[in-house]
Amino acid sequence: MKSKLGFVKEYTKGLWENNPVFKQVLGMCPTLAVTVSAINGIAMALATTFVLVFSSIIISSVRKLIPSQVRIASYILIIATFVTIVDLVMKAQFPDLSKSLGPYIPLIVVNCLILGRQEAFSSKNGVLRSALDALGMGTGFLIALFMLGGIREILGSRTLLGFQIMPDFYEPWLVMILPAGAFLTLGLMMAYFNSIAINMKKKETDKIIEQYKKSKAAKTIEAGA
Amino acid sequence: MKLVIKMLVTLTIVGVISGALLSEISGWAEPKIEAHRKAETEKAIFEVQPSAESYEVVDGIDFECYKVFDKNKEKTGYALTYSGSGFQGKIRLMIGMDNSLEKVLGLKVLEQVETPGLGTKITEDDFTNQFKGLSAVPGIDWVKGASPSKPNEIQAITGATISSKAVVSIMNDGIEKLRAVDGGKK
Amino acid sequence: MNTITANPSYKLELAASPHVHSRWSTKQAMWLVLAAILPMVISAVVFFGLYQLLIIIVSVGFCVGTEAAVKAVRKRKISIGDGSAVITGLLLALILPPNFSLSSTAIGAIVSIGIGKEIFGGLGYNIFNPALVGRAFLQAAFPVPMTTWSQPNYAVDSISSATPLSAIKFDKVSTELSNLFLGNVGGSLGETSAIAVLLGGIFLIVIGVVNWRVPVSMTLGVIIFGGIFWLLDPAIYPNPLFHIFAGGFLVGALFMATDWVTSPLYGKGMWIFGAGIALVLVLIRLFGGLPEGVMYSILFMNAFVPLINRYTKPRIFGKEK
Repeated sequence: MKSKLGFVKEYTKGLWENNPVFKQVLGMCPTLAVTVSAINGIAMALATTFVLVFSSIIISSVRKLIPSQVRIASYILIIATFVTIVDLVMKAQFPDLSKSLGPYIPLIVVNCLILGRQEAFSSKNGVLRSALDALGMGTGFLIALFMLGGIREILGSRTLLGFQIMPDFYEPWLVMILPAGAFLTLGLMMAYFNSIAINMKKKETDKIIEQYKKSKAAKTIEAGA
Repeated sequence: MKLVIKMLVTLTIVGVISGALLSEISGWAEPKIEAHRKAETEKAIFEVQPSAESYEVVDGIDFECYKVFDKNKEKTGYALTYSGSGFQGKIRLMIGMDNSLEKVLGLKVLEQVETPGLGTKITEDDFTNQFKGLSAVPGIDWVKGASPSKPNEIQAITGATISSKAVVSIMNDGIEKLRAVDGGKK
Repeated sequence: MNTITANPSYKLELAASPHVHSRWSTKQAMWLVLAAILPMVISAVVFFGLYQLLIIIVSVGFCVGTEAAVKAVRKRKISIGDGSAVITGLLLALILPPNFSLSSTAIGAIVSIGIGKEIFGGLGYNIFNPALVGRAFLQAAFPVPMTTWSQPNYAVDSISSATPLSAIKFDKVSTELSNLFLGNVGGSLGETSAIAVLLGGIFLIVIGVVNWRVPVSMTLGVIIFGGIFWLLDPAIYPNPLFHIFAGGFLVGALFMATDWVTSPLYGKGMWIFGAGIALVLVLIRLFGGLPEGVMYSILFMNAFVPLINRYTKPRIFGKEK
């Protein structure tokens, strides 16, 4: 087994390094489908985070009691319970938001991000660690969906969170609120973030090589002396 | 054998707990959801029947329809919901009609999944206001790219002709159906 | 596709396969294509007015500018000299509706080069025809302006501002073939005049810059597929000649589908490619929600080009099948 990360790292790894959308490419269906506006993205991400955190807590705490043959069935039951709770609460308290997210709230059940984290993490780690991991993944999901929804909303309907940002003479690009806009924006964002990651990695390796060269030079000097 | 029992017990426990939890939550949420739905219908009825003060459900027909009354308890007409297929999916409309079923009093789009930015314009006032006071005899018709010249015509939205046409044909179907029912009653 | 020429004054160029042999170097070919496009530019100005020149200038300017900017950011050699960005800009402008907004033209040009070409690695690596990518984006982004057609200046009869294709699809009005041939009908800048398009296109085929197989197979395909429906019911379906002369078919067949980079490499593949475009085109025009389908049918078949190339590769001499 891998060596355990620190608790802070357990949370922050979901934000960037293992960002569920940009790095793990999980949960693409809601990512592409609901992000026509920033508020939809936020609502979707919060609902997903709620389900993720609570099912992670429950599953990690009962992980030793569930026989491995029925673990997937039990996980799905637990996840579905929380998803139904979210769906009912949203319908009761935020009917407009629930309407605009449509069938994608019930569909959180099959979001591979959630089952993926349970299978890969919660079923092998303690409660606190699982909760932190879930919260981190949820935050990463929130960041990604907010950015995607924000960009699409600004370009596609001139507004951000309902406030007009682009001037009146700006003609909204309808394509951005169509599915094609989701794919285009997500693809370009992934390309951009990957190029940043590659550059960062390159700098790191350069640094290591530099250090190695220095130490080698020092050694030769030592040896020479 | 022991394993099978353990599996069954685990799944049963998980199922029972989740069922109990959900029934509790749903008991709290259902009335609220119902209230939202009712408020929405009510709002739509009063929107398509501007002089309306109260309404009652028309029973015994296979679609949703309401008799609408003004503040003197005088019947002002009908509000009916009717749905049909649009460009991409179902369009559900609330249509306000006068007593004679010859004039449209108002229109509201309750549900639609048309193309964002084009077909969705059918929900905007610019489009729906065209139906206020429109004659429905012999049926509603549409024109493209020009101002309507007859009392029963509306102008289709540029770039969303199919959605506009769909709204008109759903309305014609609904009004036709209401006429059949109403005619029988009278 | 990089070309290795036999011209001794050229230094040896190394490039990844596939290599295409041609009488002309890339640079020379680009200039010849520019010359072939000229008649369409003239017909655009004659039929729709001088404003159209502005659209062309903006489109070309932003295409070249985007290419230079991307190359600068990626620290690659500036490759404006090959003229491909200029051609993309010209072709994009010529398939836009007359009097189209200049700012939207600029967006289309940026998308054409940025997303249509440079994101794949530049000339030779793009899968889709860049000008068509730009137009497809504009079509999705600004559907209403993209389907608002101005009347040509010398319209013989006023068939409203519809294009011949939308007229026959939505209002069942057909257009005289002679008008389609001259070009005084509604439509995109460069596509209305069949004469102008044919002039440039046939010139390119004769001098060997573009291969004749794709345009010929597209034309035959449309005559066959369109003809079948026409014979079934001439009252509903337009005759195949109308399919050829109306809309963007000729521009598509001669200038878009023949793009070196995004069309198949081998003879047999070109026939398949052209026939595929024709089939998709006829289906869109007759049964789709849109009146015109040249752009989508070419983009659609562009996606199949790597596959077509794979299965139509000629057997290497001496190798077993």
